[in-house]
Amino acid sequence: MAQWGVAEARVGSHRVVFVPAGIVLACALSSLSVRADEPKPTPENTIHVQLAAPVPPQKFAKAPKFFISEVIDRSGNPQPMLVLRDRGGVFLDRQPTEIAREAIEQSLKSAGLLAADAASPDLVLQIYLFHFGLAQGSGLDFFGKVEFSVIVKNVKTEESQQIEAKGTSIANAAIRKKNIQKNVQANIEGALEDAVRNLLRGTQLREAVAALLKDRANAPTASSGDMAVVIGDEERGKRFQSRLVKR
Amino acid sequence: MRLLTTVLLATLMAAPGAAAKDPEATYKTVEAKHFTRVEGVELSPAFADYLYAELRNELGKTKLFVQVIGEGEAVEDTDAANSVVIQGVITEYKKGNRAADAIIGFGAGMRSLKMDVNVTRRSDHQDLGAIKSHVKISPRWNEEVMAKAAAHQIAHEVKNALKEKAKG
Repeated sequence: MAQWGVAEARVGSHRVVFVPAGIVLACALSSLSVRADEPKPTPENTIHVQLAAPVPPQKFAKAPKFFISEVIDRSGNPQPMLVLRDRGGVFLDRQPTEIAREAIEQSLKSAGLLAADAASPDLVLQIYLFHFGLAQGSGLDFFGKVEFSVIVKNVKTEESQQIEAKGTSIANAAIRKKNIQKNVQANIEGALEDAVRNLLRGTQLREAVAALLKDRANAPTASSGDMAVVIGDEERGKRFQSRLVKR
Repeated sequence: MRLLTTVLLATLMAAPGAAAKDPEATYKTVEAKHFTRVEGVELSPAFADYLYAELRNELGKTKLFVQVIGEGEAVEDTDAANSVVIQGVITEYKKGNRAADAIIGFGAGMRSLKMDVNVTRRSDHQDLGAIKSHVKISPRWNEEVMAKAAAHQIAHEVKNALKEKAKG
């Protein structure tokens, strides 16, 4: 009798053990299936995004030299290089921050507005990237959006102004995977170009540059008092500043 | 005779293409601004962005403008007189009723959007046209589809308004 009792108890304990084991197995299998759906970057599904041609910036009265100090990703996207999850995914080959920096630097350089190094610029740009890639669209097409905010800082006076730039692009949806990649790439490149143009040809940048450089030009005259030097150009201003420091 | 037939055929084939050719761009630039909304209009923040993008896309398709520039972009002084700015206000949005749309039909329960759009010349801010746009779509479609329809309608109306202005 005692043996029967023990046998029953064992059977009962086996049942109790099997139920959680089954749950754990189901969870493991389901997580494996989810992982299998997660797209992985491969050379086939990776796109290279860059500006087709540098965007010509607007003309400034006194052409300043810009330097991009840093580009910070503020999108909050855990996978910034994954631009499309469906159909095996579409990935960027570089971080969006790198792409944005390259695009702006390339455009500034083409117009001779890029400073050679961090020591020589008039204005320093600090870029906060809020969106880079595809955004929610109608489903009938791809909606590309690049959005960033730029802090323009005068190195000498430490004053700064914030400006915003946004670029959008809409491209047709596609069915074939190859066409999807092509359209997504064209779409993001279009949005990037639009955003860079919006920044470099925008009235916000013009006003910020005018305000920041005007302040710098006026600063020595306001502080001097004993010298009636009208600062017309940059070099005269620098000479005046150095003389003032010597005194 | 054969030559005459060939010429005739070529003329017949070329004639519809020439008639359907889009008008040449008459304005240098057009700037579409983000539409504002009156109090009480409940639309997602992404809607304004999408409407702006779609409007720019549709304005480009009209072939009436050499360039569709982004909001806040500078325009050369020489081009300012030949450039237009499009501003708009979303005055009313009804999200519709799926049940009414399915049971009653005939336009009942439709999702609707009303907008007031102003087209002005960039140089002197002269009014080139005031458009009242009203878009209705099925409540089964999302906001972005509505934005697409609205942008298409606005671009069409802008094109008509500017053409009429040019004629008159």
